[in-house]
Amino acid sequence: MSRLDQDGLELEADVLVVGGGPAAAWAAIAAAERGAKVVVADKGFLGASGAFAASTSGNKVLPPVALLRDPVKFERYALGGFLAQHKWWDRLLEITYDRAPRIWEWGGYEIPVYDRSGSYRGLQGSETMRILRKTLLQKGVKILDQSPALELLVDEEGSVAGARGLERQADQPWTVRAGATILANGGVAWLSKALGCNTNTGDGALMAVEAGCELSGMEFSAHYSPAPAHTSVTKSAFYRYASYYDKDGSEIEGLNRNGHRSTSAIAKELLKGPVYCILDKDMEREESRTMLRLMQPNFFAPFDKIGVDPFVQPWEITLLLEGTVRGTGGIRIADDECGTTVRGLYAAGDAASRELNCGGFTGGAGPNMTWAIGSGNIAGRAAADFARGLGRSHAARNARGAGSVGLEAVRPTETAWDAAAIVKGVQDEVFPYDKNIFRSEKTLLDSLAKLEDLWKTIQGTPLQNTAQHLIRSREAAGLVATARWSYFAGLQRTETRGMHKRLDFPQIDPSQRHYLAVGGLDKLWTRPVPVAEDVIQIPEEKAQLQLA
Amino acid sequence: MIELVSESRCIQCDKCVKVCPTNVFDAVPEGAPVIGRQEDCQTCFLCEAYCPADALFVDAHAHEHVVVTEEEILEKNLFGAYRRNLGWAKGGSPIENLKQLHALRQLVGSPF
Repeated sequence: MSRLDQDGLELEADVLVVGGGPAAAWAAIAAAERGAKVVVADKGFLGASGAFAASTSGNKVLPPVALLRDPVKFERYALGGFLAQHKWWDRLLEITYDRAPRIWEWGGYEIPVYDRSGSYRGLQGSETMRILRKTLLQKGVKILDQSPALELLVDEEGSVAGARGLERQADQPWTVRAGATILANGGVAWLSKALGCNTNTGDGALMAVEAGCELSGMEFSAHYSPAPAHTSVTKSAFYRYASYYDKDGSEIEGLNRNGHRSTSAIAKELLKGPVYCILDKDMEREESRTMLRLMQPNFFAPFDKIGVDPFVQPWEITLLLEGTVRGTGGIRIADDECGTTVRGLYAAGDAASRELNCGGFTGGAGPNMTWAIGSGNIAGRAAADFARGLGRSHAARNARGAGSVGLEAVRPTETAWDAAAIVKGVQDEVFPYDKNIFRSEKTLLDSLAKLEDLWKTIQGTPLQNTAQHLIRSREAAGLVATARWSYFAGLQRTETRGMHKRLDFPQIDPSQRHYLAVGGLDKLWTRPVPVAEDVIQIPEEKAQLQLA
Repeated sequence: MIELVSESRCIQCDKCVKVCPTNVFDAVPEGAPVIGRQEDCQTCFLCEAYCPADALFVDAHAHEHVVVTEEEILEKNLFGAYRRNLGWAKGGSPIENLKQLHALRQLVGSPF
């Protein structure tokens, strides 16, 4: 008997949204506007949860003019290994153009002046999420905060019928029976403490696979961002103004070519010794410094607290793993409506694969937000329509919890396994730059063997004396599972494409221009999925720009 | 990580307990919340941003505990600093910050 089987909160909804970031909020708003009765369940607090609330993100609100929209589509096309699809970009930009400005209206603000590129500095993540939360409540959406979903409910035909989890502060289970369910609970950053990423523990991917889904792009999970050493603040944009120094104070050339930061170049230096930065390029004017402070207050928070002036004094940097949060792997989107391969289940935001607009390159600094708004709106509408098609009888379906590892003893053991030790074990395989950034068959096989041992351990009895114990056990399971899928997919992709770097296959292989679906629990598998769009020729002048 | 809940400043609204995305605080009946699971703090500073009494201090060190005193935080004017920078403090405005930012972008050029 699991803690989940005890009596608790029971709700019925047309649409259940799992998650608490922008994709979840947009999905819930879109479904509610379509007339659906919506419940949102989030692990933390919708408003403060997820990578965006703690952060800032550029936003492209572009009128339907090719001159403005094309550069967005081409910007990362080659970097992403030609896996993005322009037809998806077209839809996402259209939805963002239509929907994103509503934030200002809902917040009671005047719509701001757009600059020439058609973009504007959006509100801070915290303010955007505050407005979205207020809007959700006004639209009658029920929000369950501090209520992580732990497993999906699946009916006798294999369709998803809702989810259940724990209200962690009240220590009681909740069950939501829903006609359609949207997983928008983020990616995985393996508890690295990259800014706002510790709610992202791969829960969505694990729940989805247990319900019969497949993932895609998990090999594109090696995204790291620089942060001041010992801190959490992985805001990378301003590093284009940085000079880099080694421990002797000698400048390290070449880390910052043409304002384009290379993570692997920084990683190579960090493997040799400490690296220091000063933000002193084009930052002579006080106005420039004030501008950066206004743009990203969070970037400056650690400096203000430590008492360092980053424009003048050197500070040590590190790289923190952001995994699939700013990588692109996730639940595979199987149709145009953000549906998955399982009936009744939709995916949005970082929980879903973002290869459709980001390919194998990071969606950080804009594309991910466009995806969150776009996929949230698409999934919300589709889920509402799907639930309406089922009618109210859906709640009478006979459904069972599909979750297993980390929730129950698959193979009971005398003593419960230690979730903290499992987390540490996974981190030892995914954090080191020489295992995750610089991959080879050997490093991947070595790590997979260790992850396999962890996977076997967590089939044992999980600790569940309190809700918190069970949540930790389940998170540990999510971390092990997503690390296995990432490295297994990485092993099968025998080329270097996007952020997936193979030292033993350093070139892009045109015959591997496909997505790699990955799935399975005990036994992992992959299969290629064709990209439903031919390679689009990059216009000459943009190709030059990408080579520079 | 979260290092300090100032009992003298706290108004016991328990907002930090409610909003913390990683559930590090525990509410205390008729008292200031306590830091129950410090190691879970992801150092996102959002509790500081939401605290209406500027009673919290999250240190920049995300992975190890450091000792801070209320006096030094007060002296360095760090209580509520992040809240002020976001335009969330009394008298602040996120939209005014954006307007000022827009004006500076016109002046020194848009960096990206």
